[in-house]
Amino acid sequence: MNILELLTTDFILNAVIGGLILAILLSVLSLFIYVKKWSFINVGISHAAFGGLAIGYIAGISPSITGSIFAVIVGILIGFLSKRGKFHEDISIGILLSFSMALGVILISFSNNYNSDLFSFLFGNILTITREDITTLGIFTVIAFAFLYVYFKKLLYCCFDEEVAKVSGVKTDFLYYSLIVLMAIATVLSIKLVGSILASAMMILPAATSSQIFWHYRSIVVFSIIISIFTVVTGIFISFEFNLPSGSTIVMVYSVIFFVITAVKRFLK
Amino acid sequence: MIEIKDLTVIIDGKIIIEDINLNIEDGEIVAIVGPNGGGKTTLIKTLLGFITPSSGVVYIDGKNPKGFIKESKVGYLPQKSSYEKDFPVSALDVVMFGLINEKIPKSQKIRKAMEYMKYVGMEGFENYPFGRLSGGQQQRVMIARALISQPKLLILDEPSTGIDVVAQENFYEFLKKINQDRGITVIMVSHDVGVVANYVHKVAGLNRKLHFFGKPKDFFQTNVLNQLYGSDVNLLIHSPECITCQHFMPDKLLEGIKH
Repeated sequence: MNILELLTTDFILNAVIGGLILAILLSVLSLFIYVKKWSFINVGISHAAFGGLAIGYIAGISPSITGSIFAVIVGILIGFLSKRGKFHEDISIGILLSFSMALGVILISFSNNYNSDLFSFLFGNILTITREDITTLGIFTVIAFAFLYVYFKKLLYCCFDEEVAKVSGVKTDFLYYSLIVLMAIATVLSIKLVGSILASAMMILPAATSSQIFWHYRSIVVFSIIISIFTVVTGIFISFEFNLPSGSTIVMVYSVIFFVITAVKRFLK
Repeated sequence: MIEIKDLTVIIDGKIIIEDINLNIEDGEIVAIVGPNGGGKTTLIKTLLGFITPSSGVVYIDGKNPKGFIKESKVGYLPQKSSYEKDFPVSALDVVMFGLINEKIPKSQKIRKAMEYMKYVGMEGFENYPFGRLSGGQQQRVMIARALISQPKLLILDEPSTGIDVVAQENFYEFLKKINQDRGITVIMVSHDVGVVANYVHKVAGLNRKLHFFGKPKDFFQTNVLNQLYGSDVNLLIHSPECITCQHFMPDKLLEGIKH
């Protein structure tokens, strides 16, 4: 079956559309994770989402809703602890991450399809992306982009120097927690595509890869979007062609691109 | 401009600043000096509204610091030796951050930012990655960012950190020029008592308590240095008017100066 034939298949078309929307959304968010050096916070949130998904799954509520709520709460808690500086953020993230994962695994162990459910939450199942998922993703992406359009420069200023931005009249706390909430919800929405373990990679790799080539934020965002679209589409087709797990394939393609660009850059220096 | 009355700041049960009274007039340059841990940065952060006083009050133009910052513009340069090397912004972007809340067209913001880049002697570096500039160049760009909003008050925390001695003196000369050109009140924290004394109107000697507040020449004529730093202090003053400095100058150099 060639690419065009594949796209006539409903579930592949859903996967590609969902994947493309996510690729664009996560690429833009990845800039802030890169400049804030928030990759570990992002890993913490994506693992925390797993606990929330499991709660919804067992309670018979939409896992996306419980996952989002749980991820937002954990994200805000991590953000609060990091900001207050009472705990070292690595420790607070480590504890919350382990707690959420343990909770999720225990709850899912009550399910009849323990292995397959656990696997799809952890590593994603692109075939399960529905039209409703795409609608939810689309609505969230529009809201997220509207927010980013209004606050992009202010967010960048906060990432550059929060204290100075505050003195300039920027509402730094509002932006700090808003960014965490956006990250948390985007993470939960990307779980069907790549799973909770790999969701953070989708938000770390785009800007990390682009910044190997470009130094200015505008070029980094544009190249991140291009590279993410390429990676998601290529990953989906490779996974379908060779019967591989889609999320892992996408992350693998991403990682290979990152390593190749980094190696070429070092070689050229 | 600034009125500090009976200010005490206690953080985690420790008294950082105790019972300070201070008045700073419009258009003055004031240096806050003192040993490490003496409360200099805490005082600055209290002036900026980041720290709430445990007792006492701070008024800036009759308002509390948060109220003043909300309504007026404050230029602030934090204590930082350098910024992230790979932070993805240009020098011009950084200067334009200073106009973040201004409702003017982008083209006007760019034009204004270019003007300020020129004013701080950084013309030609507009599209250069900010993180790759030297410490002194970054300071100049940060100053342009702080000035572009045309603040009434400029607060600088250790502005000479990461800058070599020559660049430091140029920097202080530059501050003096800004103060003269625009009448901005400048408050700066510094370690270099001997250097800043040449450029400021007043010195505040702070080590938990305010041990001195007055003109620089009086600062060196009292035993305040011993009170401030807790032991005998040898001070090296860099000044063209300093007669004793000549003892350390090589004869040939002295002759050159005489001619």
